[in-house]
Amino acid sequence: MSVFLHEYQPYSGRTTALWSRPLVLARYGLQEAWSSKITIGLFVLSLLPCLVEMVMIYVADNPVARMLIVRGDSVLEINEKFFLSVLETQCWFALVLASWVAPRLLSFDLGDNALPILLSHPITRFGYLAGKFIAVFVMLSYVTWFPCLILFVYQSYASPQPWAMSHLGVAIGIFVGSIVWIVLLSLVGLAVSSWVKWRVIATGAIFAVVFVPAGVGGIAMAILRTKWGLLLNVPVVMTELWMRLLGVPPFGNPRLWLPTGAIITVLIAAGLMCIAVLNARIRAREVVRG
Amino acid sequence: MTPANDTIRFENVSKFYGEVLGVNRITLTLGPGITTLVGPNGSGKTTLMNLMTGLVQPSRGTISVLGLEPANATQFFCNVGYCAQFDSFPRGLTGFQFVLDGLMLFGMSDEDAHGLTAESLERVQLDAAAARRNIAGYSKGMRQKIRLAQAIAHHPRVLVLDEPLNGLDPMARAESLALFQELGRQGMHVVISSHILDEVDRISDRVVLITGGYLIAQGNIHEVRQEVRDKPMQVLVRCNSPELLASKMFAVNHCVEARLHTDGHGVFVRTADIDQFYRVLNEIAVEGLVKIEAVAPADDNANAIYQYLIGSDGSAA
Repeated sequence: MSVFLHEYQPYSGRTTALWSRPLVLARYGLQEAWSSKITIGLFVLSLLPCLVEMVMIYVADNPVARMLIVRGDSVLEINEKFFLSVLETQCWFALVLASWVAPRLLSFDLGDNALPILLSHPITRFGYLAGKFIAVFVMLSYVTWFPCLILFVYQSYASPQPWAMSHLGVAIGIFVGSIVWIVLLSLVGLAVSSWVKWRVIATGAIFAVVFVPAGVGGIAMAILRTKWGLLLNVPVVMTELWMRLLGVPPFGNPRLWLPTGAIITVLIAAGLMCIAVLNARIRAREVVRG
Repeated sequence: MTPANDTIRFENVSKFYGEVLGVNRITLTLGPGITTLVGPNGSGKTTLMNLMTGLVQPSRGTISVLGLEPANATQFFCNVGYCAQFDSFPRGLTGFQFVLDGLMLFGMSDEDAHGLTAESLERVQLDAAAARRNIAGYSKGMRQKIRLAQAIAHHPRVLVLDEPLNGLDPMARAESLALFQELGRQGMHVVISSHILDEVDRISDRVVLITGGYLIAQGNIHEVRQEVRDKPMQVLVRCNSPELLASKMFAVNHCVEARLHTDGHGVFVRTADIDQFYRVLNEIAVEGLVKIEAVAPADDNANAIYQYLIGSDGSAA
């Protein structure tokens, strides 16, 4: 018969709120992401267009510079179209960054079999994914809505006429359009990374998930003679959404324009598919198949 | 009777991974102290530990750990520390960060987390310089230590250790065993899976034998051995005249084997009826022909129980 002294004291100190625990993982995720020189390189590269666009805003808003450089030509207009091209550029850079960062955050944990250790803490699978999602979301925010809104603020400051209030919809459009895109990218990035454990392949697979359906949609359009194949074309779907959010007038063949409801439905469906994949893949143990 | 909030309870628990059996119909109650899970590879030890730590959900049955259910993750994991057998860690962390990160996930303040990290590293005797290095550069023994440190850092009441002695050198192994014994004595529930049966013997308050997903036996090693009635018990009798004792023992029916010890100062007697054996031994001692110095069970250990109940091929005997 053993004698147990019962003198062991469990921890009884204060603990932080449950909702804040995923932030620990987000913090370490960001640390891991920034530890790569390629991440820093991509980040710097993605901000270079913003510098060019800032110079363009300066030139457009400065009469002397405008006279000297573009000789007063009206080709350099800072309007909705300008910010649409800014947003598009930044959002495609965000895809490149997401395809690099998301696998670093998830594939490593899965490849190293680190989930049992992480999930044996008071954090749920949802909390774990929330932490990773926040890390990707924050990273992509740095290159999307954040620099775009800085350009918007700079244009508001530099414009000789009152500009900001009459273009407030552009700022809201930039913000909402970026958020939609980076939420989708974060989910796609995490879902693909949870499926493909090899980081390099996961990076390629993220690009494939974005661009391959466009080809499938194109084939469907050609065979079935329908415009709905465009719904599989992520660049087209997102461009149409951004145009509407920023108030840019539509161009091209009106018969190929997609209804806003259909765009939103496709984006929600894509998000739900990613969540389903994550739910299936993020487990403390591999599922053994009989 | 130990109260429910001081025991780990499995009630008719089964776990299937698709069509693959993990464990089947396990009913078990584990009190404080050191419990060792013993069984061959693939017997279900790790599944049992994963169930205990809430990492997998049972297909059937209920589990409660100190009255808590794994679904209540916050409270549950504050009371359970787990050291996985996988040699795997989140990438890019130093040993110190790994333990600290875990404590932050438990919701501890920065100050408390730093204090507890330092304390746990000291307990597993991982020096500060090593703790500041990246885990990727650790030796296998250091990786075991850091895993153990993260498992005990938050002061859990239940410590589940999957093969915690693998890869440790003899000194580190002895230190780890001493730590487990200390924690067990203090009233912590320490559940260990191990293949090193000699060490199981030394430290365990009870053993749980499992094979093929089925529970074979559980309890104190001596109690389990006594329950294995179909295997004659082996007793080592130290005496001045082992040959005479062996001849006298052969005269009784229940004695199935008597073998002289290699040093010539004792005899191993295998008996089918231990009570009868002791009675006869008493009579021999009273006669005074043989001077008996010591009597001790020779197969009252985890290794023998493993051989009797599971067998060398891993199938339950």
